[in-house]
Amino acid sequence: MHKQRMFDLARPSRQHWLGYLLLAPAVILVAVIIIYPLIISVDLSFQNVKLVKMGDARKPFTLINYQRLFTSPDFWMACWVTLKLVVAVTVGSLVVGLSTALLVNNKFKGRTLARLIMALPWAVPEVIAVVIFAWIFDSSFGLMSWVFIKLGITTEMVAWVSTPGAAFWAVAMTMIWKGFPFVSIMTLAGLQSIPSDFYAAAKVDGANVYQRFRWITLPSLMPVLGVTIVLVLLWVFRDFSIIKVLTNGGPLKSTTTLSIMTYDQAFGFFRFGYASAVGVITLIICVIASLFMLGRGPKSGL
Amino acid sequence: MRRTLSQSILLYATIVGAAIVILFPIYWLVITALASTDELSSLPPTFWPEAPDWGVFAKVISERPILTWLWNSTLAAIGAVSLSMLVSVAAGYSLSRFKVRGGHSMGMFILTAKMLPATLMVIPLFALFRSFGLVGSLWSVILAQATFIIPFTTWMLKGYFDTIPRELEQAAMVDGCTPLSAMFKVVLPISTPGLAATGLYAFVLSWSEYAYARTFLISEQGNWTANLGIAGMRGEYTSAWNEISAASIFVALPIIIIYIFLERYLVGGLTAGAEK
Repeated sequence: MHKQRMFDLARPSRQHWLGYLLLAPAVILVAVIIIYPLIISVDLSFQNVKLVKMGDARKPFTLINYQRLFTSPDFWMACWVTLKLVVAVTVGSLVVGLSTALLVNNKFKGRTLARLIMALPWAVPEVIAVVIFAWIFDSSFGLMSWVFIKLGITTEMVAWVSTPGAAFWAVAMTMIWKGFPFVSIMTLAGLQSIPSDFYAAAKVDGANVYQRFRWITLPSLMPVLGVTIVLVLLWVFRDFSIIKVLTNGGPLKSTTTLSIMTYDQAFGFFRFGYASAVGVITLIICVIASLFMLGRGPKSGL
Repeated sequence: MRRTLSQSILLYATIVGAAIVILFPIYWLVITALASTDELSSLPPTFWPEAPDWGVFAKVISERPILTWLWNSTLAAIGAVSLSMLVSVAAGYSLSRFKVRGGHSMGMFILTAKMLPATLMVIPLFALFRSFGLVGSLWSVILAQATFIIPFTTWMLKGYFDTIPRELEQAAMVDGCTPLSAMFKVVLPISTPGLAATGLYAFVLSWSEYAYARTFLISEQGNWTANLGIAGMRGEYTSAWNEISAASIFVALPIIIIYIFLERYLVGGLTAGAEK
């Protein structure tokens, strides 16, 4: 009698045709909608092309897009804006996220509700967050200008979205409000994994609140914070909707990040080759950041 | 840790203060929707409308194609979530249980794929969809959204399957199940909470997406998703803030409701997805 071969999932060698079969649909789909398009965009960045369609004859290989890019003041300006925004939003989200997490990590009545509230902005779609802040930063009847006048910082209404410096901070504030809950959620998860024995032992040794934070909480949080910082950074770096809908990259390109520049070159001026070159540079920076994270991050389960 | 009364008061005061600041923009959205046009065009701003105008919600629904937008967003989300879940359940299970040649690198690639900038991906996808005549149809958005949803769902599901002991399948196979039927009859049924949480997380991702929708659907007004419609209203010259706010509430509400009731699961997914 033919005996069915036992298949042992617990054995270290678990090769089986089913493993391949189950992975196949994902591999095929990823190849078609991620890898193939990536190849196309890298290829486009080496061609001097405008609006393209598949099947168009390939234009000759050229480095002109990259040459034009590195000599373009717009590109360096976009790099500078991106860097400023990444730093401002990452630092802002980190400060707010970390403090709210430490706050709701205390034991008190209504803690569950407090946690829910602290992370609520995470659930608001980006475009909706922009609507809210666009109105708060409105130049005629916006709340923010009114507050500024009341506080004596300015004497008249500020045209937030049409003044370069102010527009940058309007974007940054919107992004911090939308982005800090992620830091908060991640930090809380990290805080809960710190054994309470550590604190008990430190108290026996006479450590005060600050010392406990400095020598127990912070070092234990470092791995989680590292990953979180990289993820926030990448989110700001790649963001499209908040900037596009709030300021459209303006005024005077003061909020045009590399992502916005890529998009505008492609779908505003239809310079697909040039836009792909900007996008490829953006991608390279993202990949370096992700590799950094994969190399440093906590190994959970993998 | 015991707190003195003054410490407790300080703690509660700080928490309430922080909550007010964080929730204020959402409060402001609701107040703006309910305020009258006069109240919105005067200073000091109205913190509590004299006569809340609840009719604004009905007005927006009758004057704007909000319901169509919401329906399109729903269709796109159903499509993108189903497609992603279908391939991710299989792939996540395979990555969790089997040793597949190249499986590890494939998993790593999928993981890094969620870092791809949409502004780069949208260019070749536009070229591709244009030659297949998909630009303007919801299918373009469904396929494009799958590019960033699949990485999340695959890794969330792999993480979930990792928590289910292999002994369950072994026991099932001793009882005569094949590896495939063990997966369908044993593992998937007890994974329902994980599958639901992942699906909802994917739904939130799809519902909030804007870049692809804007690029592929902009010239096809009948297929506009909710975010695209709202951004369109914001772009108009005469901004009726109460109407935009009312429309925005319709769009944000489904996600906020999901969040309030299923926060635990979504947050679990968020941290799992991030820690890989």
